[in-house]
Amino acid sequence: MSELLLQAREVTVRFGGLTAVDAVSAEFRAGELVGIIGPNGAGKTTFFNAISGVQAPSSGQLLVNGRDLCGHPPHHYAAAGIARTFQTPRVFADMSVAANIDFGLQFAGRRRKGSWHLRDETSILELIGLTHLAALPAGAITPSQQRALEIGMALATRPRLLLLDEVAAGLTETEVDNMAQLIRRMRDELDLTVVWIEHAVSTLLNYVERVIVLHQGRIIADGTPAEVVRNAEVIEAYLGDEMVEPA
Amino acid sequence: MTSRQLLVRDLLVLLAFAGWALALPHYGSEFVISMALTCLMYVALSSSWGLFCGSTRYMSLATSAFFGIGAYTSAMLLGQFSWIVSILLGAGLAALVAVVMGLAVLHLRGTYFAVLTFGMTELIMHAVTYFEKTFSGTVGRVLTVVPESDTIYLTVLALAVLAVLLSIVLRRSRFGLALLGIGADEQRAQTLGVNTRLIKTAGFALTAAFAGAVGAAMAVRWTYIDPHTVFNPFIGFQTVLIALIGGAATLWGPLIAAIAFSVLAETLRLQFPQIYMMSLGLLLILCVLYLPGGLASLRPETFRAWWRDGRQWLRQLGTTERKHV
Repeated sequence: MSELLLQAREVTVRFGGLTAVDAVSAEFRAGELVGIIGPNGAGKTTFFNAISGVQAPSSGQLLVNGRDLCGHPPHHYAAAGIARTFQTPRVFADMSVAANIDFGLQFAGRRRKGSWHLRDETSILELIGLTHLAALPAGAITPSQQRALEIGMALATRPRLLLLDEVAAGLTETEVDNMAQLIRRMRDELDLTVVWIEHAVSTLLNYVERVIVLHQGRIIADGTPAEVVRNAEVIEAYLGDEMVEPA
Repeated sequence: MTSRQLLVRDLLVLLAFAGWALALPHYGSEFVISMALTCLMYVALSSSWGLFCGSTRYMSLATSAFFGIGAYTSAMLLGQFSWIVSILLGAGLAALVAVVMGLAVLHLRGTYFAVLTFGMTELIMHAVTYFEKTFSGTVGRVLTVVPESDTIYLTVLALAVLAVLLSIVLRRSRFGLALLGIGADEQRAQTLGVNTRLIKTAGFALTAAFAGAVGAAMAVRWTYIDPHTVFNPFIGFQTVLIALIGGAATLWGPLIAAIAFSVLAETLRLQFPQIYMMSLGLLLILCVLYLPGGLASLRPETFRAWWRDGRQWLRQLGTTERKHV
């Protein structure tokens, strides 16, 4: 088995009386492309917030390269090679598109040697297809371009593990396919582990090799897409009669 | 202009400004020199304030606290230490207090941060008053060892130039970029690898060091100080006002506004003392409403846009009037 990058052990996040993430244990290994699905409010984004340091878990352990980073600030996670995007793009609107990319290169990505495609601003812009918009302020480009920029900003930290939060939401069918191909390409060519949260399940199931299904804060299934769609609990909780067959 | 050309331009402008301010005492009247000193004081205070608070959008009202700490440091130490050392100690002590204060309140944002920094200023002022009453047996202090007024002027000028120079340099550094990132989206900056707590504390301490140094230099000008003069919240408010009117996130805004402000304030105070504060308030309201980027964001297009909007407004007013008739 390949190297273990991130191990979540019994991670629990509580907001007052609500348990958003309930004792979730999961492992992510080098080179994997994992999807996380689940109905609204299943705790997907909260789980991402926990494993990127944005939301400190109420209890549990987060082992990154064997070191427990639970309760550490986000920049420690960035330094350990975990990068993320946000569901609603949070680009620096007043800075240019190029400067947004440069930001990551200046901080978490500074002392790390990324792969050839992540060597500088230009190469990252090319990868996400925004070269022609480099000089525009990031607030002036379209939402779907901002999504691509979000990914570029995360890549600029030269990560080992990339967490994508609903990057395909609101895109047209063609755009979703292009996005899925980009994600595949990043995993293959950039030597990355990608964890991808998505609401549009059918596309995701076509591209990932492993799916984790969250429901009411708990993992109810963890396996290949083929296994997961046959899982009785998953069908009942989520897929219902909208059953999707992976190609 | 490339970034290199911009750097050269900024440095040349600063050099010209410094040269002019340096020559002023040789031909200006006493009144002009004293006005220039106040002006330079606010250039140093609001430029250094903008350096941290402008780019991170953390509204600190604690400038007068650091100013007062600096003033008291030099008042107490000037007998034993040299002028330069007293100023450095004033800056150092203010920075130290800022680090402690920053660790306590820098996780708060917006109004909470502003109110708490203001509260802490009051706390420090009353603590100093209590200390003086209990241990020194007096409220105010008379400064007996006072350097020449030329020395004070040159020191404040040096601090003002240093504050602008630091703004020029830091704008191009990773530290400056981190401050901008914190201002734009603090959490996003964190996930991209910025140690925001460290950067914010360091930035806050830097601003405080300037206020402390300026306070230490200005204290001797008054020859008699008490907590209510040097911890006067008005110093803090005026610093914030100048920075906001000039454009807190810009390089030249605070400097332009400090000069405009000092001249305007002196003129108004002499000519129309009753409406002095009122007109300052009005100016701030107009700036916030119509010029949110500050004086430094004024361009020919701005005037054209105002002209167009104004005419449109008048025309609309005309049509509504006609409807009524």
